[in-house]
Amino acid sequence: MVTLDVRPQLLDALSALRDRVAAARFPLPLAGAPRARANRDELLAQLDDYLVPRLREPDAPLLAVVGGSTGAGKSTLVNSLVGRRVSEAGVLRPTTRTPVLVCHPEDHHWFSGMRVLPDLTRVWVPHQETAEDLLLPGEDPTRVLRVETADTVPRGLALLDAPDIDSLVADNRVLAAELICAADIWVMVTTAARYADAVPWHLLRTAKEYDATLVTVLDRVPHQVVSEVSRQYGALLTKAGLGDVPRFTVPELPESAWGGGLLPATAVAPLRTWLVHVTQDPAARQHALARTAYGVLNSLKARMPELAGAAAAQYAAAMRLTSAVEAAYDSEHTRVRGRLQSGAVLAGDALKRWRAFPLDCSAGELLDALVESLAALLLCAVTAADERVDDAWRREPAARAPELADPDPSLESAEHRIGMAVRRWRRELEEYAEDEVRALDRSVAPDPEAVAALVATALLGGRRARSAGEGLAERIGAHGALRLRDRGGRLLTEHLDRVMHTERERRLAPLDALDVHPEPQAELIAALSVLQKER
Amino acid sequence: MTAVTDQDHTEHADHAGDTVPKHDDRENGRKGESASEKGLQEENGDDSPWEGAREHHARVESSDSGRTDSWQTGKSRHTGESRHTGEARDTGKSTAPGDSQASADPADPADSWDDGLIARRVTEGAAAEHAALVESRAHSAQSAAPLTYDSTLRSRLVALRELVGLSRTRLDSRTLAEAGRVLDEAAARHRLSGQHTVVAIAGATGSGKSQLFNALAGVPISETGLRRPTTAAPVACSWSDGGAGLIERLGIPPRLRRRPLQNGDNDTQLCGLVLVDLPDHDSAAVQHRQHVDRILTLVDAVIWVVDPEKYADAVLHERYLRPMAGHAEVMFVVLNQVDRLPGEAADQVLDDLRRLLDEDGIALGEYGEPGATVLALSALTGDGVGELREALGQFVAERRAPARRISADVDAAAVGLRPVYAIRRRTGLSEEARDEFAARLADAVGATAAGEAAERAWLRNANRACGTPWLRLWRWYQDRFEPQTGRLPVRAQPDEKATARQRVEQAVRTLADRASSGLPAPWALAVREAAVRGSQGLPEALDELAARAGLPPGRPPRPGWWPAAVLVQASMTLLQIVGGLWLLGQIIGFMAPNLGVPVLLMVTGIVGGPLVEWSCRMAARGPARRYGADAERRLREAAAGCGRARVLDPVAAELLRYREVREQYGRVAGVGATAR
Repeated sequence: MVTLDVRPQLLDALSALRDRVAAARFPLPLAGAPRARANRDELLAQLDDYLVPRLREPDAPLLAVVGGSTGAGKSTLVNSLVGRRVSEAGVLRPTTRTPVLVCHPEDHHWFSGMRVLPDLTRVWVPHQETAEDLLLPGEDPTRVLRVETADTVPRGLALLDAPDIDSLVADNRVLAAELICAADIWVMVTTAARYADAVPWHLLRTAKEYDATLVTVLDRVPHQVVSEVSRQYGALLTKAGLGDVPRFTVPELPESAWGGGLLPATAVAPLRTWLVHVTQDPAARQHALARTAYGVLNSLKARMPELAGAAAAQYAAAMRLTSAVEAAYDSEHTRVRGRLQSGAVLAGDALKRWRAFPLDCSAGELLDALVESLAALLLCAVTAADERVDDAWRREPAARAPELADPDPSLESAEHRIGMAVRRWRRELEEYAEDEVRALDRSVAPDPEAVAALVATALLGGRRARSAGEGLAERIGAHGALRLRDRGGRLLTEHLDRVMHTERERRLAPLDALDVHPEPQAELIAALSVLQKER
Repeated sequence: MTAVTDQDHTEHADHAGDTVPKHDDRENGRKGESASEKGLQEENGDDSPWEGAREHHARVESSDSGRTDSWQTGKSRHTGESRHTGEARDTGKSTAPGDSQASADPADPADSWDDGLIARRVTEGAAAEHAALVESRAHSAQSAAPLTYDSTLRSRLVALRELVGLSRTRLDSRTLAEAGRVLDEAAARHRLSGQHTVVAIAGATGSGKSQLFNALAGVPISETGLRRPTTAAPVACSWSDGGAGLIERLGIPPRLRRRPLQNGDNDTQLCGLVLVDLPDHDSAAVQHRQHVDRILTLVDAVIWVVDPEKYADAVLHERYLRPMAGHAEVMFVVLNQVDRLPGEAADQVLDDLRRLLDEDGIALGEYGEPGATVLALSALTGDGVGELREALGQFVAERRAPARRISADVDAAAVGLRPVYAIRRRTGLSEEARDEFAARLADAVGATAAGEAAERAWLRNANRACGTPWLRLWRWYQDRFEPQTGRLPVRAQPDEKATARQRVEQAVRTLADRASSGLPAPWALAVREAAVRGSQGLPEALDELAARAGLPPGRPPRPGWWPAAVLVQASMTLLQIVGGLWLLGQIIGFMAPNLGVPVLLMVTGIVGGPLVEWSCRMAARGPARRYGADAERRLREAAAGCGRARVLDPVAAELLRYREVREQYGRVAGVGATAR
């Protein structure tokens, strides 16, 4: 006999674990991400809606959630158990869109607060009115829980009529799964026409996986085939390893069939008796409670590593994306440095200007051409790097995140930024040249702009511009020329590094904004191991 | 016939008077087809599905039926089998997320159905007891005219085939798989009987598919029961002979082929119907769903059987009805078991079902519009079965279901291919982009700077030539002290990398971006690749070109007035000298003192020299500008020509290929077909 004894340490460990789970994010669209997100939400819902409140207050009433496929007669079953129409039943599918919770009036305080299912807005409807009328505008109709009270429900038990688990409305499906996860007792309803459907069997398998306290109801069985269908269903359950699950059969009766009426009390009597027994016999109650609670606790052992694995995969993918960016920019950086050294800037327009320099071209024009050519070189490097990043990212499913796909670093702005940087370099170089010329005590001081143009040519022209160096030395002396070239060269490297760095950071910014870290993985596992220790 | 065929009648007015409409139609079809196929026939030849089929048709007419039919059956059996395995694999892979658990679970409940508790197989003996005739092989030997497609569908299929052929090198085979499958199915169906319509009955477990099947056949052919799921393998029932090939194609073994109750009225009404009872699609038995998925791709029409309990099941709507919304015209949706509903609840449920179908995007065939037929019936009591039989009879008698199904398949394939063909906006290389590319290349070779340099050099030379000798002397003197920088003889050697690599690279990248913007990804990639491939070697070519297309060697051309100006300048100098000498002669007393003339001569020379120089400079501006512009233009044109040949043309060719494919796609999607 398992019993539920809860120590405060366990609760602390559990709420720490809950926070870790809540903090886990899976923003990159990897193959396993949607599943991990769903698992996370489900686990969080189960912790918030069921496990934590249950362990905090073991005396709270048992919650039996009636779940099943559309048209299985869940609402009719709940109505019949209660003895009056609390949940609307009907022929149109899906019928139940708002979950309905029924409990004894004295238990009402347990459910009117946000103790369980804190995400759902409570609605109090006196009788037979549709909940939709009472909703505030803008309130999501599916995120509402109707709380009903009835004297006929035994104390310490609450029945919850959940929406369809296979509803056409996707929100309903999610809600149904969430509600079922919040149950102490899972009441699975299926019908004679449905007992072989795939969907209810998934749910049964899940119940088995979590080792929840489970009851199955075979509803709507035409009375002439009751024994045969029931026998086959039992065989299927046994085959699935669920042979020991309490099984109840409710016949299809004409007065109840599709009109939403109530089944006679005798039809649901065995189920009712069982529920009353579980509620009122302390041992049975304790057993039912502990089984579901420990089932969920045990399931954490498998579910937490799964989440941690998904978090690790997220981080690995983010790392791959980052390293693709870094590799692309690094290799382009190397290439652009090589090009600078070989004098690639002194080509085309700049080269023509340089050839015409002293006679047919002014120093200003030469400088303009050089600066423009340098800007073109840097822009080319940046766009080439971006292209390589795009290429690499195209092969990464994680790069399809909408935040990353957005082509924010537009070419124009990159061009603009590079142009600014290069112009600033020119200005500073001209200042250096002026300093150098001013320091010169010669009768005829050389034109500072010509000096700046010569330095720029010598720096950017590589081997080809050897004569520029010579010209410079002639104008301001070998010593001064060397110093100016050194300073200018350092300035150039500095600006080049800054440009490449800025552009790389800009490219990485959206990825950084996604905030994918390696910590969640370790934290999830750590929280789990703390919990294991406290049990 | 369809509206499009009617249109054909008016187009080919010479055929309008023909008395046999069917013949006429075929004639028209051939005409349209030969027109549309003309360019294709040499290369495509026998591949065309109806090409072979027409011959086939001829052979059938020449009563060589036995051989043909056996070939046909053999062939189709083969297709059926290969399709079967393919589909099975496909379905296994693409199970819905909710089902992944089932397939991943080692203790798959699907296997657990193999026990004796749930009878999966229809026992042969039991089936035989039901007095249904098992169709004999002799029937299948009878020939049936193969299916004909109308000209619109034919041209769309031609376009689809061409589209697949054109894009095979650009797109991966997975993208084209669906289109290929549709083509195969269209060809396979085309070979088979056009007199028959294959209709499948599909639905959830326990909805009463088999009951309806039996009700239509008039005999209990397919086993019905309470055990779920009941029917494990598809059962076929053919109302008339000659449909063996069709059933063979579905992969239904002969032991599961049946004949309906022989009954005159029944026979004539549903003549040409081949009804297939499918297993369920929603039970835990996975192989049932695989059967359903496979056969649903092969049949001409589907009757979806739903019941009041399950009509809103997510699996039915999300997995089947929504993806098949385009097939509404070949779809019946029947609400079975209405006898279980009290009073007007049946109408309510039927209305709700209509609403759900509408939400699924399925057009409903109400008020004479084309679309799905929605009926309520009870197979148990026979209520409404007559209506279905009537609707089915009319549907089968029209014999248009196979073509409609194929047409809907082509639609679906076109929609599926949309992302890889359709574009968001107008694409292509604008004149602007081309100009910009040329300008960037010109920048890379330095055309502007070269032109300016040439202009200035020319002007300088002109100034020097026409300037006063004194000025020249002074300049020469000054030049001696100027440090030599730019014009060192070292740089006169041909440069190996005169073209700015980075500018060429950037120009090509910008062009590729412009050209590929808005294109679907595979085509954008192809355009980019074409541009990059073309740009290889482009800088070297530009280097060489710049060296060749530079200024012509030798002296730059000089205007005609130049010698005159030089002469005038010289004479001015001469005047100065003469005046000076004269004055000198007077000063030393060699000559008679006459101050006026020599001073005048000298003043004329002194004033005239700079005057001539200035006017020459003014006059030289025009030729200098022309000379510079000429130099610039030569480089610019050479660079642009080189870029056009190496990059622009391949890119344009790639864009043209895309446009062709796009046009084909338009034809497939049916836009081009109506526009033509």
